[in-house]
Amino acid sequence: MTYRFPSKEWTEAYRQAVNSNPAYAEAGKDWTHGTVALVVKADPTIGIEKDMAMLLDVHRGVCRSTRYDEAEKVREEAAFVVEAGYDLWREVIDGKLDPTKGMMQGKLRLTKGHLPTMIRYVQSSKQLVASAAQVPTDFLR
Amino acid sequence: MTKSIYFPLVELAPGAENNGLAEMIAGLIRQNLEDSPEKMSDFFKLSGRVSIVAEDVEVVLTMEFNRGQLMVHNGIVGIPDVTVRGSSEDIINLSLIEVIPSLGLPDPRGEIFRKVWAATRERRIQVHGALSNLLLMTRLSKVMSVN
Repeated sequence: MTYRFPSKEWTEAYRQAVNSNPAYAEAGKDWTHGTVALVVKADPTIGIEKDMAMLLDVHRGVCRSTRYDEAEKVREEAAFVVEAGYDLWREVIDGKLDPTKGMMQGKLRLTKGHLPTMIRYVQSSKQLVASAAQVPTDFLR
Repeated sequence: MTKSIYFPLVELAPGAENNGLAEMIAGLIRQNLEDSPEKMSDFFKLSGRVSIVAEDVEVVLTMEFNRGQLMVHNGIVGIPDVTVRGSSEDIINLSLIEVIPSLGLPDPRGEIFRKVWAATRERRIQVHGALSNLLLMTRLSKVMSVN
């Protein structure tokens, strides 16, 4: 079974993938800094009419819950928000783009959140994103 | 009130808005100064240009310090006093080096310090001009450290 990206179902499958990743459990074991939102920018050519967000409630190496919602409803409550266009998220999920390198190149943007904390937990962030590669994904293009 | 004093001191130069590393460095230093006002004394003594070349992602920036002001430029601007070349991971590690709290200096016992030291010995990180600018590098390390 595959899950369309982005969607509520994909986001839930992502939660399970995160919780099945022992490297994330280790790297994120001290994370107590709040929720992380991954925002896919609007792209009407593939039916994404508004910016959409996957909100991850991550805490001490566990993803406790997720929510898939319009980004404007999520940006306020998320502690950290990372934004990128659809094709860049696809590269990240496919493992072709390292999220830290993507941020350095200005492809992914941290639009909200405490940057020194993000840097301190760079391995945790990498493992969080690496978990996405384990989700059987059906891309819109 | 203090925020209004800190924030204007660190700026992106025109043309650096799309340089993600420049944005990260500016944001990191700005946030560090806000979180740890004791770093301000080092920041106000910093003067000179430091360029960073993240080779694997082909991103280059120059930090222009002018005693309490920092302008972060895209690319090499002017003649740098110090140039740091390395991979993106090594560049990130530079801000993660463990610090001895009482001295504010790098802790040679730290895991990240040892990684950076090994990378320097193997010339994966190259720092040009550091020996003649030790004070600049020491102060910069303190201002950039997230520890």
